[in-house]
Amino acid sequence: MPDRADIVRRLTTVFQDVFEDPGIELHDTMTAADLDDWDSLQHIVLVLAVERAFAVKLNPAEVGKLENVGKMVDLLLAKATAKA
Amino acid sequence: MASDAAGQASFRAALSHAKAAVAAGDHRAAFAALRGCTAPEADYVDQARVAKALAAIDLGAIGLRALRVALVAASTMEHLAGVFRFWLAEAGFNADIMITPFDTTIQSVLDPDSTLHRWKPDVVWLFATHRDVVLDVPPDAPTTAIETAIAQAVATRATLWRSLSGCLVIDNTVDIPVDDPFGNLAGAAPWGRRTLLHRYNVALPEAAPSGVMLLDLDHVASLWGKRRWADARYWFHSRHAFALDASGTVAHAAARLLAGARGLAKKCLVLDLDNTLWGGVIGDDGINGIRLGSGADGEAFAAFQVFVRALKERGVILAACSKNDPETATAVFRDHPDSVLRRDDFAVFTANWDNKADNIRDIAATLNIGLDALVFVDDSPAERDIVRRHLPEVAVVELPDDPSGFVAALAAGNWFETIAFSAEDRDRSRYYAENAQRTAVRAAFVDMDDYLQSLEMVATVGGPDPFHLPRMAQLIGKSNQFHLTGTRYTEAELAALAAHPDWFVRRIHLADRFGDNGLIAVLVTHRIDRTLHIDTWVMSCRVLGRTVEGFISNELRKIAQEAGCDRLAGRYVRSAKNALVAGLYDRLDFACADETATVTHWTIDTARPDWKTWVSTAQEETLHA
Repeated sequence: MPDRADIVRRLTTVFQDVFEDPGIELHDTMTAADLDDWDSLQHIVLVLAVERAFAVKLNPAEVGKLENVGKMVDLLLAKATAKA
Repeated sequence: MASDAAGQASFRAALSHAKAAVAAGDHRAAFAALRGCTAPEADYVDQARVAKALAAIDLGAIGLRALRVALVAASTMEHLAGVFRFWLAEAGFNADIMITPFDTTIQSVLDPDSTLHRWKPDVVWLFATHRDVVLDVPPDAPTTAIETAIAQAVATRATLWRSLSGCLVIDNTVDIPVDDPFGNLAGAAPWGRRTLLHRYNVALPEAAPSGVMLLDLDHVASLWGKRRWADARYWFHSRHAFALDASGTVAHAAARLLAGARGLAKKCLVLDLDNTLWGGVIGDDGINGIRLGSGADGEAFAAFQVFVRALKERGVILAACSKNDPETATAVFRDHPDSVLRRDDFAVFTANWDNKADNIRDIAATLNIGLDALVFVDDSPAERDIVRRHLPEVAVVELPDDPSGFVAALAAGNWFETIAFSAEDRDRSRYYAENAQRTAVRAAFVDMDDYLQSLEMVATVGGPDPFHLPRMAQLIGKSNQFHLTGTRYTEAELAALAAHPDWFVRRIHLADRFGDNGLIAVLVTHRIDRTLHIDTWVMSCRVLGRTVEGFISNELRKIAQEAGCDRLAGRYVRSAKNALVAGLYDRLDFACADETATVTHWTIDTARPDWKTWVSTAQEETLHA
């Protein structure tokens, strides 16, 4: 059974790498506005990095419509559950 | 590339090493850390991180050559800029990259007052994909309609090329798409979409004038994998024309092409022998024991030799660098029936027990080329590591264990890209081999003048006729060491200068008793009042130390006098590579007129005795053919 806390932990590493900031801590209500570097190009890098880390295919437009990090965790949890 | 955990860990370590080096002000070390940590096939996440780290490094401070590159496309290019900048740095450039606004190709290129033109790029890449080529032909269209459609599509590109005649233009063949409603017929019927795009791709090189070079993007897409190349998600989301993970491969291919166009392609392939050109160790296994020509891996080694020999025939200099007894090693090339390579295919043959880094340094010195012009191939990871550590300028090929992968590993680097092929290229190996003979003869002479006289050197001076113009532009483009001012001219620019009444363009060929050295120097001079200014003086380093400089000085004076001038003025513009000629004008008795940190100005009165030279003049050719 996929574990939400585990997904948050792995997603945190992805964010830290992509935004080159080991101090980033994720919380569910975080949005693009909370990170200075989160522009359209970084968004794509982030989606690709998440795909790589979680071995899933994502649609960048769909991900763009997610309102916050919590929804991204939910999406990854749903995908992991579907796979399991 | 770095998808496994160990790979990611060393990748992270390299990035933080680079970051720390930048913080400590050591930009050279920072760049070195980045160079080793990625490959063109690495995915976009890694490419983007390397690109970001590169942005903090001062590439000008470490001597990379400035280059202004504009990307013009009807698709999103922003993601490529940083990655391209990294692979251009790897090729020797400190690139400044601008991207014209999305889908404004025609306005940007045709309007002489556009942001693009005002930015004054050195290079413009007119990036195109199959989506940009209009070829509307109904099924079963007649041949004439097909031909008209292709001609029109090519003419559209030619209009763009003409508006960019002041700079180097990259256009590309387009990526032929994989999905078509007609399936196989799309590439099997004369009117099929794939057939038409193939014909368009073939028509481009036929139409491209000099000054326009083509990147074979369809080949790059095929190499990378066509099914993965078309990532529709990112086309619909953000107008990215190909999979983001292919960015490194595309950027690398274009960067190597620019290296070739700007004289930064590699010139010499340095090869280990045992287990690289044949299987086994000749000193232990003997000529009958090594694997070459028969058996699975013997055939693979022979195939690698065929590839290497073909490189030599297109102008790459070969050097052997082996831990061996010279007599034992040479015997393979002389006596083995299946050896494709022969001893005289190698311009330099080093077989001894010394350290390979030292041997490679000697090879570069013997050939009179920079270490950064060398590519090193060795099956031993330990030797590769030594060369990487001690000679970071030398490109080192990562060979797989299986010899059947050697050709692919060497070819993947695109080390030897050129934008044209000339007789000079074909003959280059011979020039270097003849030079080695001259060195041997020189050893027998006590007196340098006696030796130079014995060479019986004869020079031919000519103008930029259509036959020689491409080679002249090529020589200016690739000269780094003996190049006083760093100018780069396209063929069109050179032709325009030659046609101007105040500019005089000359080429010099040199022959001697050992053979023809080919085109060895190009001069571009400019009359202002009664002074002849030496705008460009490039010379092949093959003929250094043979009093050719004196001959050329006499020739410059002749041009000056014919142009009604009584003074010569020379300029030396310092670059990372031309220290060789910093003192040239001083040695030729010019007086220093002005000096700044990067430029020195020199003049001399033409009323003076001849400069000393052992080169005589051949019957003159017509200067303006």
